[in-house]
Amino acid sequence: MLQIEKIKEETYDTLRLLGEVDASNSVLLDQAMQEVLQQGTRFLLIDGHELSYISSAGLGVFMSYLDDFSEQGIRFAIFGLNEQVAEVFHILGLDQLIQIVPDKSTAIALPHVS
Amino acid sequence: MIKKSPLSIGKISLLLALLVWVVLVIVDLVRIFALINNLDSGIAEEVTWTLELLFFLCLFLLYRYIFKKNRQADFLTLLWSGASSGLFAAGAGLLTELIYFNLGDSKLGSEPFLQNIFYHINFAWTAAFLFATALLWRRLILYQKSKQVVKQWQVFELAMGVALFFVFFNHNNLDYSFLFGLVILLFLSILLSVNLKWIPYLTYKEKWKSLLFLFLILFSASILFYRILSYGNEARLLINLTDNLFLMALFGFVFVYGLFSFLVTLFNLPTSSVFEQKLTEAINFQKLSQSIQPEENEEQVLDILLDSCISASFSDGAWIEFNPSEQLQLPEALRFIDSDTHAALTSLLPAKNRSWTAPDRSDPLLPQAIRLAHSTYKSALVIPLVVNRNLMGRIVLLKEVKEGFNKEMMSIISTFSRQACIALENHRLLNQAIQNERYQEELKIAQRVQKALLPLHLDHPASFDICAYSNTADEVGGDYYDTYKVDEQRFVLIIGDVSGKGTSAAFHMAQMKGVFQSLIQLGLSPAAFMKKANAALSKCLERNHFITASIFSIDTEKQAFCHSRAGHVPTLWYRAQENKSDFISIEGMGLGILRNQRYENHVHEKTYGYNPGDILMLLTDGIVEGKNEKGEQFGYDRIKTLVEQQHTQSPQEIQTLLVESLHHFVGGDGMIDDDYSLMVVKFN
Repeated sequence: MLQIEKIKEETYDTLRLLGEVDASNSVLLDQAMQEVLQQGTRFLLIDGHELSYISSAGLGVFMSYLDDFSEQGIRFAIFGLNEQVAEVFHILGLDQLIQIVPDKSTAIALPHVS
Repeated sequence: MIKKSPLSIGKISLLLALLVWVVLVIVDLVRIFALINNLDSGIAEEVTWTLELLFFLCLFLLYRYIFKKNRQADFLTLLWSGASSGLFAAGAGLLTELIYFNLGDSKLGSEPFLQNIFYHINFAWTAAFLFATALLWRRLILYQKSKQVVKQWQVFELAMGVALFFVFFNHNNLDYSFLFGLVILLFLSILLSVNLKWIPYLTYKEKWKSLLFLFLILFSASILFYRILSYGNEARLLINLTDNLFLMALFGFVFVYGLFSFLVTLFNLPTSSVFEQKLTEAINFQKLSQSIQPEENEEQVLDILLDSCISASFSDGAWIEFNPSEQLQLPEALRFIDSDTHAALTSLLPAKNRSWTAPDRSDPLLPQAIRLAHSTYKSALVIPLVVNRNLMGRIVLLKEVKEGFNKEMMSIISTFSRQACIALENHRLLNQAIQNERYQEELKIAQRVQKALLPLHLDHPASFDICAYSNTADEVGGDYYDTYKVDEQRFVLIIGDVSGKGTSAAFHMAQMKGVFQSLIQLGLSPAAFMKKANAALSKCLERNHFITASIFSIDTEKQAFCHSRAGHVPTLWYRAQENKSDFISIEGMGLGILRNQRYENHVHEKTYGYNPGDILMLLTDGIVEGKNEKGEQFGYDRIKTLVEQQHTQSPQEIQTLLVESLHHFVGGDGMIDDDYSLMVVKFN
């Protein structure tokens, strides 16, 4: 089960993921990312506090937007991942391409990486 | 002659009837000769009667046989056969009359023998007509018979049978017993004559025809009866065959049922169109209810539906239109209207009846009568067609009168449309099921092909044992493993996992195998291998797919392995000397994530020395992430503990234990929701 909440704030958009991202629902995550991008966000945050599991299909969604983010200069960060989920990002090496930080305030304070 | 075919029964009874009739004529002529000449012929009256009775029996058998043979004949054919035999008998009678009229008072005209021969001929024809008609009536009376009607008929037949022998007691006297018998038999005839269920099934045209035939039968019967009465009064005929209770009663029965049928048919004429309409509706309904075969098309059903709706409502015009998403086209979508009228009328319909928005659930989707402000068509009926909860089309019926569609029409039309929609829905479901079955077959083939992509035999020297196992969540999966012998002491192990699962993963797995098999020939170092693999796979993987892999290049002489990891689950290394195991931690990014030169900074390799008894366990994430009912993952620690405890076992046994342990953890019926593979190596 996956629920996605979209929270729009002045300088950034947050997608709050609740539950699990697996092969069956990764398309929902993809749609949500797509919508936020189309609305012209400049700074996208993923709130992973309630994310209990992410499969390789879910990781693939994040991965597929990395080029778009760097091309359009969109800032992107993930925060609040539990240890197990963070480990998944680490094993794949995605933590070297995505800013993964402990909490929201750290995420907002991140410098703009071009 | 014991074995009689049905054909011979008819012929035998015909021959017998003729024979009996000839004997009857001879006997009677002998008797007449005796009477005229005041001689004693020695032949009693009873002989004549017995022969007459036999003749009747033969006729009965003959016609019963004929009717049995023509069981499939329709009512009109039957009525015509009755009418024609009546006309023939009456015609023969009138011809005799004419001959005698011409002969006048000549000697030949008063010749008793000739007169009697003619009398016998007429008698035979009359009897034949009566039997034919009576058995025809029997067929009509017993149409859609009930038990009660069958009983009534049996009583009537029995009474007629008794009447056959009546002549032996009554001696051809018109006394009270004769009248009494006649009244009883007529009463029974009237009782039977209310069984006229065949009439409503005739069409309007058929009713007119049957009226004519019935009239002919009644007419012939009247003429024949009149002639029989006149014979009875003629003194010239010395032997009377026709003043017989059985024959009179048969006349009565034929006449009464004929009259009833005639009158009922006549009075049924005005309402026959309603009955025909109902019958057409029932037939249409049956046509619509028949499910369409997969190879047939939906247009036929819709065509029948449109026809049925038009005929059920007597519409002056109609059209059928489809939701643009359906891509359906009927060759005759417009009925009795031209395209200009159609456009004009469409614009007159309320917006609700023009749009194709999904129907509201609360809306019962009944046919809707609409008043039109058009010069010709004053009212319309819009019938929505809903298949799979989608508004797939609608039929619009038009009438030139205001409020032309009544409740009965609307209810029958709504039944029609619902039935047609069910047929369409079933047709679509059936097609879908067939297609699914085909996909299943295709998947089975894919499964077989993919199984063949994994090695049956793993290359290894005597210095280490190896085994591997792979299982897919769906029919096909994205896990891959292989071994490769470089030379006598160098071997390469590889394990890979495509992101996601199912068919798309399986295709990428095949690509991965191709890339790995090519690169492995080049004798690259593990890190160089990953860099090349990344470059190659980046060009063929979909944007949101990646592959993780681990590679081990083992040198058995140096007792060392060089290892590189590309985003793959770390490999467990059990070290026998320390009796301890750890997951080899080496950084490395998955293949296809960074699709440019920068990837080269994210992959590394390292060489480790090993000792005999050491175990390497290569895994895919399906094992680590296997979940139980509580949502807990199998995790790294359980794997580690198991290997440490079971390190003395062979690789095959360790593998079996791990798979069992995983299944036990996930739970009896719990399906492991990802592909999982493992490869176990034990150094000797």
